[in-house]
Amino acid sequence: METRSPILQGTLDLMVLKTLEQLGPLHGYGIARRLEQVGQDAMVVNQGTIYLCLVRLMQKKFISAKWGTSDNNRKARFYSITRAGRAQLKLEAESWVRISGVIGRVLQPE
Amino acid sequence: MPSVYVALARLAGFFRPHRHDVEFHLELREHIAMAIDDKMRGGLPPEEARRTVLVELGGVTQLREEARAARGLPWLDGLLLDLKLAIRQLRRNTGFTIAAVVTLALGIGANAAMFSVVRGVLLRPLPNDDEAHLLYLRQSASGLGVENAWFSVPEINDLRGRLTKITRLAEFSTTQPTLFGLGEAREVRSGVVDGGFFEVMGLRASLGRLIGPADDGPGVPGVVVLTHRFWNGALGSDPTVIGKAVRLGGQSATVIGVLEPAAPYPEETEIIANMVTSPHHLSATMVTEREHRMTEVFGRMAPNTDLAAVRAELQTAYGGIQRSYPEIYTPHARFQLNVVPLREQLNSRATTILTVLLVAAGLIFVVACANVINLVLARTARRESELAVRAALLPSTMAVRRTLLVESLLLCSVGATAGVVIAQPMVSLLARFTARYSVRAVDFQLDATPLWIGVALALVAAVLLAFAPSLPKPGRAVQRSTGTSARRLQVFAIAQIAASFMLLSGAAAVVRTLLALEQTSPGFQTANVLAVNLPPGGLGRTAAQTLTFYRNVRARLGELPDVAHVVIGSNVPWRDIGGGPTRLNPRPGGMQFTAEGAAAAPSGEKPQARGRAVSSGFFSALGIRILAGREFNDNDTAGAERVVIVSASVAAALFPGQDAVNRQFRWSDPVARLVNFSEEPRRIIGVVADIDDEQVDPQTNMTVYHPFEQEVAGGRLFVVTRGTKPYALVSQVERIVKGLAPTQPVEQASTLEDIRAQVLSPARVNTIVLGVFASVALLISVIGIGAVLAFSVSGRTREFGVRLAIGSPPKQLLLIVLKQGAVIVAAGIVAGVALGWALTRVAGAYIPGMQSPGAAALTGATALLVTTGLGAALGPAIRAARTNPVRALKYE
Repeated sequence: METRSPILQGTLDLMVLKTLEQLGPLHGYGIARRLEQVGQDAMVVNQGTIYLCLVRLMQKKFISAKWGTSDNNRKARFYSITRAGRAQLKLEAESWVRISGVIGRVLQPE
Repeated sequence: MPSVYVALARLAGFFRPHRHDVEFHLELREHIAMAIDDKMRGGLPPEEARRTVLVELGGVTQLREEARAARGLPWLDGLLLDLKLAIRQLRRNTGFTIAAVVTLALGIGANAAMFSVVRGVLLRPLPNDDEAHLLYLRQSASGLGVENAWFSVPEINDLRGRLTKITRLAEFSTTQPTLFGLGEAREVRSGVVDGGFFEVMGLRASLGRLIGPADDGPGVPGVVVLTHRFWNGALGSDPTVIGKAVRLGGQSATVIGVLEPAAPYPEETEIIANMVTSPHHLSATMVTEREHRMTEVFGRMAPNTDLAAVRAELQTAYGGIQRSYPEIYTPHARFQLNVVPLREQLNSRATTILTVLLVAAGLIFVVACANVINLVLARTARRESELAVRAALLPSTMAVRRTLLVESLLLCSVGATAGVVIAQPMVSLLARFTARYSVRAVDFQLDATPLWIGVALALVAAVLLAFAPSLPKPGRAVQRSTGTSARRLQVFAIAQIAASFMLLSGAAAVVRTLLALEQTSPGFQTANVLAVNLPPGGLGRTAAQTLTFYRNVRARLGELPDVAHVVIGSNVPWRDIGGGPTRLNPRPGGMQFTAEGAAAAPSGEKPQARGRAVSSGFFSALGIRILAGREFNDNDTAGAERVVIVSASVAAALFPGQDAVNRQFRWSDPVARLVNFSEEPRRIIGVVADIDDEQVDPQTNMTVYHPFEQEVAGGRLFVVTRGTKPYALVSQVERIVKGLAPTQPVEQASTLEDIRAQVLSPARVNTIVLGVFASVALLISVIGIGAVLAFSVSGRTREFGVRLAIGSPPKQLLLIVLKQGAVIVAAGIVAGVALGWALTRVAGAYIPGMQSPGAAALTGATALLVTTGLGAALGPAIRAARTNPVRALKYE
């Protein structure tokens, strides 16, 4: 039986922002790899959707991008979190903790 | 804030899709390369590594599409694509596009023009302050056949004393003095008003000041206000006129101001003057005699009241006045008092005709839309396979609808643009036409109304067009639905015929009215009769000098070689109407008269007649038949025996079946005394045929003629010429008259024929406008029938082929198609008769004078539609009969 869950709607933005906050500037592939590591086998990350997520975050000016060179000497687009992005992350992380707490309490057997 | 950024980013993305796309592509390529490197380092063979990476990433093409959608404005992209497709479609089907655009342009243009005229003429508020409270009062006496009886000073004073819900009443009456001192002397129409008039009307001065309460009463100086039109036109907007001394007949006055542009009512006058300029207005009879009515009355409604309350109070007050003077307000006369808002009164005449034209324009729009819908339906039927493929490919039927909507929007906006363009000249034309019905159209100005009407109608039409065709169901793939289309086509064709039928019968009715009017003989000669106004007053001549002047004019002009007759009368037919009370016609409906030994009317009704004054030779010069006795001659002078000539109906009323000549006639009207008409008997010396010099549609009317020398009035010169160019004489007439009296006004030279044509022109323009509307509708719907039948024939090619193959004669196929056409036309006409009947019923309840066009018009419209409809069916029918069976069976 398959136990890997799809990513909850809207949480990918949160995870990408958190990753960039923790690890500093990263390219899309780096973000994907990091999420794979963190998620291990519990979560399916369609790597393509990360790029769509990056487009959305760019539009909202939560992240910025710059072309640079990767560790293995390839041209890559590096994303870093902006000030607005940090504020958003704080907001969303708090709300996530609150909601997951509620959900946890609801699901807890008496 | 982020949402603003997103919107901006999307907008940027929409306009610069390429750059972002390339970046995204590069980024993905690097991602794939890095991932493959990693996998290979993990021990996977290159091919395997590549495959895994691509699977993990998801479809690259789809990803790029999604990113593009997220970056740009996908719906706009879709719309642009649809628009591109639509343009290509419309350009490929030139014939369809031109037919649809022209039809829509006509439909939208006609409506845009009509709506803006209606808005400008009927709906626009008056320039008067607080115009909603401005009222117009009218006294009528239907028992005497008097629609507008005017008011006398005692009546106005009584009303003033009894009304609280009308704060103030204003008086206006018309006189026709000769104005000296502003350029050439000229006869003008002058509104004589009281000091409160302008305040009640809520009008201001453009220049100088207006007449106020200080200008009331007998002892004040005469003052004159110029109307804006007169000042602007005849006086060339000369600002120095203020303060000029002028003379109105014998009364001196000063020009004190120019009135702002305003809708003139009840009559267009050149000037407005205070009471003192018209001596008659201050005379004892005028002020004290209840039956001496010559004034129109306006009022201002008190604040915090409504029309119903005003009416109720007015009826109570009027009832009280009537009870106080039962000998004047007799039951037989049926006196009534009515009050309406001034705007309603101003619009009353234009409302009917404009409503009719608006309905006509609406019908044109229906016909146009139905026709374009038919074109679209026929085309959709041909495009069914294309639409089915699209329906299969596109996510929903809504997307197919959107494609159709974009197409019809494009079509309709092109049509609307063309329509608005043709609406502009139509609006000015219609406004000029409407000016004959409403003074408000005179200062009509073109605004943006046609534009937004055009836009609105285009939207309506576009939605109709997009939702008319039934779409192929996506599930059922390509499938013929020609049956449904054909049925819908027929329904719309029938709708077109019905609308055209209504228009045609309306047009036929106005054509009939016009023909009837043009064919009625006025009873006198109009061609080669030149009428010139030589008003007698104000020149300071004695009575004898005035008579000598006219005698000299007649003698001198009579010497000219081209002149057959020169006679004088008091009224130019059809032109000298209105203008307020005169001595010969002191009140509407004429004066009462009696005669020795006359038969009394069975109802006790006192007959009334119009008064006229004509010179010797007048009747023979104009070709009016003398039925008995003689006409006036040069012996009927001021000092001679008082004589009159009566019209046939006067003779018939007084002496039915007997000879009226040599009987004694007397004006018995109480008003006669007030205007210094002696009640002494006058001998009837002749009887002439009835003529109507007021209406082109002659009504029987009683007229009594006085010798001009015994009752000088009007001073209208009639020159009957021998040649065919009467206007060539005008300069000679002017020169001779000015030679005899240098300051004498010589005005408005025109042949009677031209005056009649001018009076007839509203009927003529009615006919033209409705005729054009109806022809357009007829043309469109005939094309519509042809298109429907052609479509049906092409859809039934196979059937026809089979019929021919099994031995049907071609003539039978011809009849089948013709029959189909006949059924559409017949159904359309039946629907048209029914709708038209309902329309006249409904509209008739709101618009007075709305009537059914009559049997002749209905028959004419039917005949025309049947002929042209079958004519249009003939083409497709012949094509059906000529079907080649072999090819028809191979077809499809």
